[in-house]
Amino acid sequence: MSHYLFIQSQDPFTETRTHHQFDLIGQLYDAGHKVAVLLVQNGVTPARRGAKSDLFDDLLRWGVTVRADQFALAQREIDHADLKDQVGVADMDLVIDAMLAGHKVIWH
Amino acid sequence: MKVLQVIDQAYRTTTEEQDDTILWLTQSMRGAGGDLMVLLSGHGVHYAISRERQPALTLGTWRQTQPAELPRDIANLVESGVPVYAIQGDLEERGLGGLALQNGVRPVARRAVADLYEQADQVWHW
Amino acid sequence: MSDTKTLTFAFMEPPFESERTVTFFRLLDAALDRGAGVRVFAYEGAVALAFARQQPHGNAVHHRDSEEEDHPLTKDWIAALQEKARSKGIGFEWINCGLCVDERGVNDVIEGCGRGGPPDLWRYASEAHNTLTIGTR
Repeated sequence: MSHYLFIQSQDPFTETRTHHQFDLIGQLYDAGHKVAVLLVQNGVTPARRGAKSDLFDDLLRWGVTVRADQFALAQREIDHADLKDQVGVADMDLVIDAMLAGHKVIWH
Repeated sequence: MKVLQVIDQAYRTTTEEQDDTILWLTQSMRGAGGDLMVLLSGHGVHYAISRERQPALTLGTWRQTQPAELPRDIANLVESGVPVYAIQGDLEERGLGGLALQNGVRPVARRAVADLYEQADQVWHW
Repeated sequence: MSDTKTLTFAFMEPPFESERTVTFFRLLDAALDRGAGVRVFAYEGAVALAFARQQPHGNAVHHRDSEEEDHPLTKDWIAALQEKARSKGIGFEWINCGLCVDERGVNDVIEGCGRGGPPDLWRYASEAHNTLTIGTR
């Protein structure tokens, strides 16, 4: 089993590539790997409660760990309480810890 | 250490750089002993079916003399022992599914991409 | 960097163009906070991040002169991270792709930023505990 952390800067509202990116994340998760996603930049936008993205909601439904960058949230005035239930808040140290732990850290 | 280079874009600066900067980077690192694989995805799959030199740009009195040779760059990678893959689904999305791939470029099903990720120690997504 | 883990970052964005730049610098800062040594390979437009002739400016729309505006410059961010690494006794190295520097004419870089090429990225990555690449679009 491998550990993956995807840093998701692309969002499903403007980037159609996220469709395949989320599919790949789901495939790795289904294959039994430990997969987490950190939403950064406009990547946080589908995490807001009420945001309409079936692609993103599938990630949550599958059980993939999803965190959103607190700085990107603050920029967009999104409070923790505004996030969908399964989305947590994190900072860049999440990435650094994953890198130091030898996880596969991949920028999307 | 084996690295998978995921090239997800195409033609971003191929005119002014006279190559694809990540294909170039990969060739150079291979020359330095890098153990590398290349996955062409997204628009990057265009490189898998490229046959001709890029068009030469003309602007005013300036004319380009050395436009990019993407088929050569792909061939050089393959010949140097770098496996080059192209996602079949991305080819098909773009109407390229029926075209022959460059010699040595291997099609890979989207469902098999996760296996490629597992074969590498690191995945560098560009 | 003998007793600390080193992380390598490859980055391609030029200054003042993309939100990625801020994320990238925050990652470097977080790495130093964790006590990790940092090595950066700046590729393509990212070589201008260390350009020494970056100048702050005032902003008439903001009704502030240059001193009041205190405009952010990426060369200052690099210098600040260099200083932070020094104070913590850990390594912070920065190599610009030399050909990328030449074609952009940004040869005048701040102290502590060197010049190299893709073999340096491979060396950095081979010697590092882990590597993250952030491309451009």
